Amino acid sequence: MTRRLMMGAAVAALSVTVAPAAFADAHGGYTIGVSNTVQGNGWREEMICAMRAQALVEPDVTGLIVAHRNTDSAGQLEDINNLIEAGVDAIVLNPSNPDALNSALEAAMAAGIVVVAVDAGVTAEGAYILSNNQEEYAYLGARWLFEQLGGEGDVVYMRGIAGVSADTDRDNGFRRALAEFPGIEVVHEVFTGWQQDQGKQQMFDFLATGIPFDGVWTSGIDNVIVDAFVESGAPLVPIVGADNAGFVQYLTTVEGLQGAAVTNPGSVGGAGIALAVDILNGEAPDSTTVLVDPVLWENTTDEGRATIMAAQNPNLDPEWPVSVSIPGWTDYTMEQIIACEGPGEG
Amino acid sequence: MSFVRKNAWTLGLIALFFVLLGVTRLIQPSFGVSGLESLARAALPFAFATAAMAVVVIVGGIDLSVASMMAVCSVTAAVLMQTMGGVPAILITLAVGALMGLINGVLIVVTRVPDIVVTLAMLFVWEGTALLILNSPGGAAAPFLREAIVGSVLIDGLPQALIVMAVIVALIWVPLKRSKLGLAIYATGSDENAAFRSGVAVGRTKAAAYAFCGLFSAFGGLSLLALTGIGEPVPGPYLLAAVAAVVLGGVTLGGGIGGLLGPIIAVFILRIIRTILTLAAVDPNVTTIVEGTIMVGVVMFGAFLMMRGRGPT
Repeated sequence: MTRRLMMGAAVAALSVTVAPAAFADAHGGYTIGVSNTVQGNGWREEMICAMRAQALVEPDVTGLIVAHRNTDSAGQLEDINNLIEAGVDAIVLNPSNPDALNSALEAAMAAGIVVVAVDAGVTAEGAYILSNNQEEYAYLGARWLFEQLGGEGDVVYMRGIAGVSADTDRDNGFRRALAEFPGIEVVHEVFTGWQQDQGKQQMFDFLATGIPFDGVWTSGIDNVIVDAFVESGAPLVPIVGADNAGFVQYLTTVEGLQGAAVTNPGSVGGAGIALAVDILNGEAPDSTTVLVDPVLWENTTDEGRATIMAAQNPNLDPEWPVSVSIPGWTDYTMEQIIACEGPGEG
Repeated sequence: MSFVRKNAWTLGLIALFFVLLGVTRLIQPSFGVSGLESLARAALPFAFATAAMAVVVIVGGIDLSVASMMAVCSVTAAVLMQTMGGVPAILITLAVGALMGLINGVLIVVTRVPDIVVTLAMLFVWEGTALLILNSPGGAAAPFLREAIVGSVLIDGLPQALIVMAVIVALIWVPLKRSKLGLAIYATGSDENAAFRSGVAVGRTKAAAYAFCGLFSAFGGLSLLALTGIGEPVPGPYLLAAVAAVVLGGVTLGGGIGGLLGPIIAVFILRIIRTILTLAAVDPNVTTIVEGTIMVGVVMFGAFLMMRGRGPT
């Protein structure tokens, strides 16, 4: 008998430790649930911090519940169902798969919960999708590169992973820019697999062939391409990359490098929170798919250089994309996203 | 009294589960039928992974490839269901699971390489196999499979997913435990030499236990497919969760002691703890620490009770 009593005592002690957190439950205002399945990746961490910071500055949001762990689709289903049970008003998620989560997302929408998928799409009817405009991402950078070359020249085209939707979208944008500049020729097209070492080796290999070219477009594997030029002693050509901290730093520090960084912000998560609040306030957009347009930072003009210098911050995690906010969507300050604190979190 | 004493650990776990259920209601008064249903659904893959692990732990082994076998079974079924009916696809998947488990077991018995090494190696083999079958998430699930785990049966709040799981586990485990093979599994787990000298075919028993582990893993893979509707080739976080639930469920890691009921209740305890932590909006980085702390706390408390029980009270 004593055993069972002691078990009871242990259980009671356990309940006491868990119970106080219950007061995080918000009254009045909106509570927003967040679900993400990749932990420890710079882009995703920036996304989470942008969500927290945006929720903090949204006056209507009083609570944020973040389910953020490394798991599979079944685990994300569990998290979404738990968020539904928690009675959130909206769920903002980075989906692990476009099809796998529909059962929970449909249950959420049936319960009147607003669903916003950021970064990638979901196929559930009625869910809003907010992501970076990947086609525009490629178009902006490619157009800048082709203009830089005076509309005439040979370029190396370094893509991501074949068959991935972001790569396909970017290819469409690149081809669109290419069609506008008939004098531009793609002399070499490779898939980097979005792997730093692979992309660098591919550039070494191509430099070794001695085939002349005038510019490089990369799908975000950028700073190692600069390294390849510098290490092999080849003269630098204009290079387009993403707003990864390493590349952005090179744009201001590498002698003779002309280049541009196109933003692919993880802060799209913050925009997702802003969109969810808009929808809750009855200001839903006309289309359920919202694309965030990237911006281009180049280092060939004083104005461009000033923008790059302003974007850099020594307190920023080096793994994060440098663009920590999205004009027109996010309202937090750089300090707030670095602090990474949301409203009503335990 | 002897029933209580014999099943003290399991009864304690059940009590703990109901207390945690109470805590959940305290935090979220609206937690009800739908909450129980989604809890049971979330527990499904973990329950099968735990059952799989428990069988080999009872025989005195361990299988690190459980999550990978689940992934193979989930993609196998997802691919098969695109072209054939659900029932044959399920039967083939179960056979594939049992075969994978049998291969693990035979390798361990024949090569005499330690189980932890063999199954660690097979973890990678099965992981690669899953990617060969389907290199990115896809495939399809038969509608009846998806519906089998939705809703309640008989009364509201008795989740169908729970009943499906309980029936499957009971149909396999109860006859097995009462059979000669079941006895041999427990005997081998408690003392391999003694079992051998008593005439137990130790090698065959072990191989069979691993085959049952593969079979339960196949059910785990099917439950993943039922949950998501697609096959995912990359294994989920089921291996360590299964080991944790087995230990928390009162199965001794050395083998020979414990059953499947305790570990499966432990699965529900671990799932409801996550639900509570989500409902209470606890920082996600703290969540895993809390989960681990509770687990080690409960097991330590159990060991403390055992020690007291042995004392001269």
